[in-house]
Amino acid sequence: MTAPAAKTGTGTRPSATGENAAPAAPVVAFTGVDKSFGPVKAVADLSLTLYPGETVALLGPNGAGKSTALDLLLGLKNPDHGTVRVFGQTPAQAIAAGRVGAMLQTGGLMEEVTVRELVGLACDLHPRRYPVADVLAAAGISDIHDRKVNKLSGGQEQRVRFALATAGANDLIVLDEPTTGMDVSARQAFWSTMRAQVDQGRTVLFATHYLEEADAIADRVLVLHQGRLIADGTAAEIKARAGARRITFDLDGAIDLERLGALPHLVGLDVTGPTVRIRSDDADATMHAVYGLGLYPRNLEVAGLGLEQAFLAITDAATAEEAGNR
Amino acid sequence: MKTLVKLEITRTLRNRKFMFFSVMYPAILFMIVSLSFKKDTAAGTTGLTAVAYLMTAMAAFGAMTAVLMGNAERIAREREKGWVRQLRLTALPGRGYVTAKIASAATVSLPSIVIVLVLGATVKGVHLAAWQWIGIGVATWAGSLVFAALGVAIGYLATADAARPISMIFYFGLAALGGLWVPLYTFPHWLQTTAGYLPAGPYAALGRSIELGDAPHAKDVTVLVVYLLLFAGAAAWLYRKDTRKA
Repeated sequence: MTAPAAKTGTGTRPSATGENAAPAAPVVAFTGVDKSFGPVKAVADLSLTLYPGETVALLGPNGAGKSTALDLLLGLKNPDHGTVRVFGQTPAQAIAAGRVGAMLQTGGLMEEVTVRELVGLACDLHPRRYPVADVLAAAGISDIHDRKVNKLSGGQEQRVRFALATAGANDLIVLDEPTTGMDVSARQAFWSTMRAQVDQGRTVLFATHYLEEADAIADRVLVLHQGRLIADGTAAEIKARAGARRITFDLDGAIDLERLGALPHLVGLDVTGPTVRIRSDDADATMHAVYGLGLYPRNLEVAGLGLEQAFLAITDAATAEEAGNR
Repeated sequence: MKTLVKLEITRTLRNRKFMFFSVMYPAILFMIVSLSFKKDTAAGTTGLTAVAYLMTAMAAFGAMTAVLMGNAERIAREREKGWVRQLRLTALPGRGYVTAKIASAATVSLPSIVIVLVLGATVKGVHLAAWQWIGIGVATWAGSLVFAALGVAIGYLATADAARPISMIFYFGLAALGGLWVPLYTFPHWLQTTAGYLPAGPYAALGRSIELGDAPHAKDVTVLVVYLLLFAGAAAWLYRKDTRKA
């Protein structure tokens, strides 16, 4: 079956990738995918589409269904309902055709062999393989090629996994928390390696815990929460949606919650004692209205919201909504 | 896939301790057990000397050790560590991994068979024609595939911790009931009949038929083929089941 007409969720296609008019054939298409483990719904009615050349970050708190979604995408798990298509094929077909490379969080490595032997195996198994020496060099592990795989540091192991995921001319690279266990400089080195892959026109999907990575690298961010896709857009759009600015001030006397709640451009409101915390997508307009109410805020602070806070705001809101629906 | 098979064999050869143990164990056991028999003691009514009988039994036992003990635990451990998952993300067909595992097991079993036969010919003075030596070696080696498949099935069934005890139970149980330690002709009649339908009995019987100058019995070959299909089928089924839940 073909599912190129799949909906794009709440998606806003990034124009940064520079395609025009006709939408390109999707790289990945999830259509109404459900996956449960016993009573737990790991992924619920998930529909999403990835397009060629995108660099997409998959965010979500622990247990949000990120790893399950990636397993479904790679055919390591089968959906209970719905379909998963990769380049219009089943995941297994796409992998057999050598179009997908993946770096798993839990991907163990073969032991008692050297780095070169292991990477050589990955190259050999790839239908569109690259020379081993090139793959080692691109992953930055040429210098440790004769080391035994079971004697590597965490960061080196991740690089070997990365080499396995890039052993051939993949069109899609999937990375599950690729920089876990790396220190800051290793992480930076890793992402510059990754950028080289993006520059070659590949589609990259990565799950991460480090939101600054998503902010810096992804041109599209997907937020999963309790197995549902709750946000899909550029990092800037996600921040705007969460309320781009955080306003904090103190008020004397009784606080009229109703009047504060009616402020323009208000996204979130939290009052603790005399302290008022507001999230707003237009701080200027909100503050103007605060003064308009005749209030005199003291200790005023206005700060931009990082993706981290935006992410927390969105997932908190989703949790509250979920609780309200019960 | 050739690279994977080669790499699996290389790994096994590098694992010196495992190689040494697997190769020396049946040889040492053969030397010790055969001490209690005189050179010309007959092995019951089999028409063979006890030493010749023991030689094929120990060659079979050695091959079983290598393929069963090695495979099950390694596969279970690699499954648990996620290497099998990683391998599933390559274009390697599902059978490839199993093929490579059986090939690497066969690498260990061959020297263990050969060393027992060499000891039989040199130290223990067993006299056979050249074709018989070759036939025993080849038949014992080929028959070990049955147990290699069983090892793969256990590897997919059990966790890494459970794989060792489970394969031990199969290994000792099958070896004892197949008459690999205590000659089959000392068993009560009903147990001899049962042993004929368990895999290890017919396995050792392959070599015995050749020692007597016959081809292996059709019944023994049939029993082994049935077990091979059974174990390989179970391994394939468990592999698919593992794919679904992994």
